[in-house]
Amino acid sequence: MNVPATPLTISRFRSTAASVRLSVLQFVADPQWLIPSMIAPIIFGIVAYQLVLGSGPYFVVYAILGAGMMSMWGQTLYGSGWATGQDRVFGTLEPTLQAPTPYVYVVLGRILWNVVSGLVGGAIVYVVVVAESGQIPAVVNPLLFVVLFLFVMVTLASVGVILSAFYVYTRFAGFIQNIGEFAFYVGTGCMFPVIFLPWWTNPVSLVFPPTWALDALRYGSIPGYQGFAWGFGWDLVGAVATMTVYLVLAGLVFHRVERHVLEVGTLGDY
Amino acid sequence: MTPDPAIEARGVRRVFESRKGFLFTEKSRTEALRGVDLRVEPGEIFGLLGPNGAGKTTFTKILSTLLLPTSGEARVLGIDVARNPQAVRPRIGLVLGGERGLYNRISARENLRYFADLFGLPPALRDRRIQEVLDRVGLTEAADRRVEEYSRGMKQKLHLARGILHRPELLFLDEPTIGLDPKSARETRKLIRSLVSDGVTIFLTTHYMFEAEELCQRLAILSKGQIVARDTVAGLRRLVGGDTTVEVEAYGFEDAEIERLRHLPGVGRILSEEFGPRLRLTLRSSSSELTAGAVRSALGTAHPDLMVRERRTVLEDVYLDLVEEEAA
Ligand SMILES: Nc1ncnc2c1ncn2[C@@H]1O[C@H](COP(=O)(O)OP(=O)(O)OP(=O)(O)O)[C@@H](O)[C@H]1O
Ligand SMILES: [Mg+2]
Repeated sequence: MNVPATPLTISRFRSTAASVRLSVLQFVADPQWLIPSMIAPIIFGIVAYQLVLGSGPYFVVYAILGAGMMSMWGQTLYGSGWATGQDRVFGTLEPTLQAPTPYVYVVLGRILWNVVSGLVGGAIVYVVVVAESGQIPAVVNPLLFVVLFLFVMVTLASVGVILSAFYVYTRFAGFIQNIGEFAFYVGTGCMFPVIFLPWWTNPVSLVFPPTWALDALRYGSIPGYQGFAWGFGWDLVGAVATMTVYLVLAGLVFHRVERHVLEVGTLGDY
Repeated sequence: MTPDPAIEARGVRRVFESRKGFLFTEKSRTEALRGVDLRVEPGEIFGLLGPNGAGKTTFTKILSTLLLPTSGEARVLGIDVARNPQAVRPRIGLVLGGERGLYNRISARENLRYFADLFGLPPALRDRRIQEVLDRVGLTEAADRRVEEYSRGMKQKLHLARGILHRPELLFLDEPTIGLDPKSARETRKLIRSLVSDGVTIFLTTHYMFEAEELCQRLAILSKGQIVARDTVAGLRRLVGGDTTVEVEAYGFEDAEIERLRHLPGVGRILSEEFGPRLRLTLRSSSSELTAGAVRSALGTAHPDLMVRERRTVLEDVYLDLVEEEAA
């Protein structure tokens, strides 16, 4: 055979970067994304501010947290799984899985992009609430606040990876995500601290890394916050531990899921 | 050492089980492939023909690692596709074609760039290679337009470009010229031939007999999940009884007349087909002595409305014979 062999070198980094690039290009190409990424945070910011107006000395922080979580949550978690669902709709899941790069790197790239756009959403919320209240919120430790904010996003992303695997697994993932969405949103404490929920829901909430991270974020930014009894330090430990489990699980699950869809032949379904 | 066959399939079966109906309580089972054996040598263009639903796409997907066989074994470039798909993927190209399978909101060039990275094309080579395949399929001018503005034929070309981007040793083409106008289809066939002269092995499926006849050295005909014939074009033609075809049409024929036709020189098979009140007999003969004139004189003057047409047997006939025989 005289095909001049091309030295193909599958690079995880390059594949992930290609996936980020594709996400950005698709974002730029489609103005509808302005709604969840730009307009929604503005609305969330305004509404959250009105809701908590005057409720205690830290209401500005509450508004930022509530609205910030709301917009980041949608971007980071929802976006990650949804992009795989889109691959099904476009019919690009087949050629993508046929390429030698493991699909998990494609997912990783999308999550990175979603984390960035989620952060932009968080920043917009911040600016909106600050503008509305006319005051820079009294955060205990601004640096810690930013770090914890990022940390929450990373924990959300870890759930997003698992969710993406679910989207590869079945075309009904979107349907199920839509049902579970609200429960997850409330259950992890995105809207208000989990401690306000009935006690028996807590074991379920604690399965999700963002629950721990969100509690830690509140401890770290609101003086006198009463969250889980074990406090800030153990919140961090719990978040890291559950997230590790998720990421290890994702590593295992992705391989199996890819195999499973080849077995059942549902890769082309949409 | 003889090289590995490019493709070697043994007893490949594929069953689809799906659920449908209200709450998916009904189970349905389709046996898309019922034991396919096939061997394709390196450097050839092999064609797989078959009617809708025969299992061509299913077989192509199994060979290109997008589907696992229910049983049987398939080796591509010497590697078992079910056991080690990862080793097969970088060495093959797949073109499923159609309207889907592309990122519509971005340009062709960006689509190619994305897949070039997923295929591990070195960055130093990437952009040059993308330009090269765009030129090769004739999409250079439209390369920076969004794919959603593309016509069906342009999308098909982009599918092709993606398939050859990483210079695969073996290229799978599922109906490569579907949706192309005659000129583009011809260009595509030319491209396919040029790939072969570069040393690429090609496995293609098609509905178009003339396309298979024009391109392929060897063919297999798939019908209801089974290979019903497998040969060279000439061999297939012999299989159905020869090079000459004569079609005879009238308002019905007596048994005795058909018997007389059967005894004409070289006549192997006679197929009959009804067109309203008229009946058409198709005679295949291995002998060039079977002419329209010979048929007319064998039938005499009983049919004032007789129509006789003599032509070369084309692959289309062979294909219909085989598939119809299978259907009967
Ligand atoms: N994912 C699937 N789930 C269930 N049945 C399937 C699936 N894919 C294919 N089939 C069935 O398998 C059979 C073969 O289909 P296949 O697409 O391989 O045929 P084909 O020869 O490519 O047909 P066409 O010429 O129309 O493209 C059909 O009966 C089809 O309905
Ligand atoms: Mg098909």
